[in-house]
This record gives sequence, C-alpha cells and structure tokens, in this order.
Amino acid sequence: MSILGLFQKRSSGAVARDRLQLILAHERAESGRPDLVIQLREEILAVIANHVAVEPDKVKVTLERGEGVSTLGLDIELPLGASAKLDAKLAAKLAEVAANKGSAKPASSKKAA
Amino acid sequence: MSETHPEPIDPETAPAAAPSAPRPLSLRGRAFKALALSPEPPLPEWLAGLDAALKRSPTLLKGRAVILDCAQLKPEPDALEMLMNELKARGIAVLGIEGADTVLDGLPPLLVKGHPSEKVEIPSVPAEPEPQVVTSITVEGSVRSGQSVINPTGDVTVMGSVSSGAEILAGGSIHVYGALRGRAIAGAARNPRARIYCRKFEPELLGIDRLVRTAEDMGTALRGKAAQVWLDGGNIRMASLD
Amino acid sequence: MAKVLVVTSGKGGVGKTTTTAALGAALAQGGQSVCVVDFDVGLRNLDLVMGAERRVVYDLINVVNGDAKLPQALIKDKRLETLHLLPASQTRDKDALTDAGVARVMDELRDKFDWVICDSPAGIERGAQLAMHHADVAVVVTNPEVSSVRDSDRIIGLLDSKTAKAEKGEDMEKHLILTRYDPMRADRGDMLKTEDVLDILSIPLLAIIPESQEVLRASNLGCPVTLNNPLCAPARAYADAARRLKGETVPMSLPVERKSFLDKLFMRRAA
Repeated sequence: MSILGLFQKRSSGAVARDRLQLILAHERAESGRPDLVIQLREEILAVIANHVAVEPDKVKVTLERGEGVSTLGLDIELPLGASAKLDAKLAAKLAEVAANKGSAKPASSKKAA
Repeated sequence: MSETHPEPIDPETAPAAAPSAPRPLSLRGRAFKALALSPEPPLPEWLAGLDAALKRSPTLLKGRAVILDCAQLKPEPDALEMLMNELKARGIAVLGIEGADTVLDGLPPLLVKGHPSEKVEIPSVPAEPEPQVVTSITVEGSVRSGQSVINPTGDVTVMGSVSSGAEILAGGSIHVYGALRGRAIAGAARNPRARIYCRKFEPELLGIDRLVRTAEDMGTALRGKAAQVWLDGGNIRMASLD
Repeated sequence: MAKVLVVTSGKGGVGKTTTTAALGAALAQGGQSVCVVDFDVGLRNLDLVMGAERRVVYDLINVVNGDAKLPQALIKDKRLETLHLLPASQTRDKDALTDAGVARVMDELRDKFDWVICDSPAGIERGAQLAMHHADVAVVVTNPEVSSVRDSDRIIGLLDSKTAKAEKGEDMEKHLILTRYDPMRADRGDMLKTEDVLDILSIPLLAIIPESQEVLRASNLGCPVTLNNPLCAPARAYADAARRLKGETVPMSLPVERKSFLDKLFMRRAA
C-alpha cells in the first residue's frame, strides 16, 4: 500500500530532515571504516566455507540502516544435504564473527533445501 | 674531378745549348683539380638534367675548369661535335676531353690518366613548394558549443547553425545557412576579400583577415536578420542580405 | 535487449536525478523492467531520491572491480517490483571506473532489463562521458535559462562525438526535457521561451516539466515524483514523457499556455 498515509501527518520537510540525519550519521561512522559490510560478508563466507561448500553467488547480503540498530541480512543457499546440526553451529559462529566486527546485530541465516 | 699530370721535363737534364741559340723553353707539370662532366646516354635526358642543375644554380660551372669525360657516352665524332656545341651554348668551356678515342681539330685536347678526386656537391635549392590545394568544407548539421571547425585553405559552409561558444575559422569565406551565434573568422590566410554570410545574425565575434570585432561593437540593427560581413578599406562592414 | 537511456545536461542542478527517478518509476509502473544507474563518483544522489539510501551495500565500482556481482549490488525498489537501482560510490576514486569495466556492466544490465537509465553527473568530464558512452537514447535536461541552454548545447555536441554510437557513425536519438518551467514567468516574458530553446538546441521536445513543490516534496520523502503523487502536474508530464519514449504519440499539454504556442509545439514535434 501507499506509504503516503504514514507521512500525511508530518511535513515532508520533517521526513527529509530525519532521513538526512540518519544517513549522515551512518556515513560519518563508515568513513572511518569503509567497506565494513563487505569485509563482514567475506569473513562470514569464509566461516561457512569451512563447514560447507557454498558458491559466492548463492550468498546475498542486504543492509538496513536503522535508528538505533542496523540490520545486516544474509541469504545463503546451502547445498542439499547440509545437516540440521550444522545450522546451530553455523549460527553461533556467525554471531561471533558479527560481534567482533561491530555493533551490528547477528546475521540471520536461512537454509534452502 | 680528375687531375692532369703531364710528365715533368727536367730542364737540368736537357742538353746544354750553344751560347747563341735561344734559351730552352722550360716546361713544368702542374696538377689541377677540374670538374668532370660525364654525360650518359640518352643524351637529351642528360642535357635536360644539366639544364635543371644550371637552373637551380646558375653559377655552377661559371669560370670553372671543365673536363668532358666521354667514357660512358662513347660518342661518334659528329655526336661529339654536337655535344661540344650544346655545352658551348650553355656557356660551358671545356678544357679537355677524356675517354674518347680520337680527337678532332678544333676540339679541346685529349687527356689521359685522370685521377678521380672528391665529389663536388651541387648546391641544392629547395624544391618549389607544393601549390596549395584549395578545399571547401561543408558541415551538414550544426556546430555545437565548444566545437571548432577549421579550414585554413578554403571556405566553410554550415548547413545548420553555429551555436554560442562554437568557432569557425576559414582561410576563405564562411557561409552559415542557419543562425550564427558563435565566433566566425574568415580570410584567415591573409585573404581580405573573404566574406561571412549567415541567415540569422547573432555572432559573438567576427573576424576577416586580421581584423576582429566583438558583439559589443556590432550594434543591434542587424540582429536576427540575414546578413553579410566583409572588409572594405580596412574596416569591417556589415549589411543585411534582404 | 534493453534500451540504454542517458539523462544528461551539462549544467548541474537542473533536474537530471529527479528526471531519472521519475522516468524510471513511470516506465516500471507501465510494466517495463527498469534499472536506474547512478554514474556519479564521490557524490551519490540517485539513492536518496529513490529512498534507498539506507540499503546500499555495494555500488557500481564494487561491481566493476569484481568485489561483488551485479545481482548483489542491485537494490530492488520496495514499491515497484520491476524497478532496480545500481548506486554510485561515495568513497572511491573516480579512476576506478574503467572503460572496459563499465562496458562489461552495461552489457550485463542490457541482458537483464528492458530499460537501463543512466543518471549522468554534471559537467563534461569523465563521469558524464562514461554515462553517455553506451547510450542508445539521450534525454537532455535543460532549464529555460541561458547558461543551462549553452551547457546543454555543449553536451549535445559531445553526444554527437564522444559516444559509441558517434564512433560507429550512427545518429543518437536525442530528446529535450525542459524542467523548472514556470508558465507565469513565460507569459510575462521573464523566461526564455520554449521556441527559443528549441531553436537553439534543435532537438525534439520530449516534455515540459512545470516548476512544482511536488518535486521537492517527493525528494524529501525519498520517492520518485511519479510514484509519490501521480496526479500532480510534473508527474503527469513525466508519465507522458515515458509513453513518448516507448513510441506512443501523446499530445504535448501545458494548459496555461496560449493556443498559438501549442500549435507551434505540434509543428515542432512533427519535424
């Protein structure tokens, strides 16, 4: 549906101000550590590769920079046969990597059958 | 070049003469450097080459000792005589002839045993400059801002318009079948008879030969009209074409 | 195979990014699959106007360098499924955009979409030349103002000389979008007339976009103007422009103008 409804009560100028403040805060933080997301992805990929062979193509990264927290989304297509136990182990490992890298919340991983 | 080296005659060894006899003639040998002309068959071609060299450097053989070396040509006696006449006609005095079998009366003496010496450079005059080919350039579309059309050797015709910020430089005239809004300089190759024509007169700058006028000094009378620009007695003149 | 469109102007601030977003959204609304590409380096604008600034992970330079594959860098629009964005790099060196690299990415984009719209940076240097190099069609955005018109003329000259099409001796299809048009100032004679601009630039008119608060409002909200408020005047003008790009004949409409002007516009379009 249209997002217009959400904004009707606020002037567009106010919305613009909020958007700018948010994105500029992120950009100023990032200028000290550029490509954080890329590094994170590479390391996560490496961790996964230790346990299971994954093609780089099958890993999709999304990012949503939010007010208090940013969400890094990882979509990983695991090959057929990866076991359930691997899931838990993997999730723990990934959380560790993510925590080391920054204040981002741990990544969520999905498994495709 | 060849040297002439006749046998020296030592006067000391000449026999003593009787006191009342005239003194003996002393002859000495002398070696000189002379220029040798070596005609090659076909003779007419060689003569043409000679003429061209003389044209480039008219004093080439003037006052020089010239030897005619017939070794390559090997002329018959009457051909030799004709050659001598040709050379005489060109003001070339032949000191001696070498490489011929016999010598005829009236011709310079036969010489033998010439030694080659260093080559003589014929001073070269630069070749005539290529005649300038006059060309005309036609631009089918428009000339956009920032573009330059340059033709130093002829006219420039633009079928479209010349935008503000564009430039046309021509050795000849400039014809714009649209609006002239940029810069136009005609007659750049010292051609004060060149003109500038356009269908809509709005130029930034005009020039003919070495005279230049900017938009500020053009007045507004012709603005937007079809006009021509030319040089008249050291002044740039502009007039409507209609 | 896609049509590659470049939105360029020479002068800065005339409405290229707004036009890219608006046309992209309008075409996507019509069912076409569209990718808008930000060709600026060091300054990133298209993502803001599209409202995707918080979701940028990879950019054009990442793809050119091989740090990421194209599908990973593409950001899908949340509102229109068939609309995607390839953002520009904010931080990297402009020399990182190589001719060969960009050509490769353009080829990949051509395979995936119906329309690839390249948002050119201002100026005539590398970024602008790269943006126009692979285009089949050019949209030249101009304000009815003297420096904008002269800069657009310069850009048109470059379109005719520095593009792949020009190098092959082919003609590039060029269209003019006149933005920030104020009908009242036009009536008073305080603005360059549309006929004058067309006379000077000599390319066919695609659309006249009226000056409007809606454009700013949409940009504030991070939504292309054609999506944010499809009924406002600029949105309708852009929607018509999108239809004309697809080959439809749409009569040019600007209700505040006098009739004689409309007639002249018809003649101009037929030329």
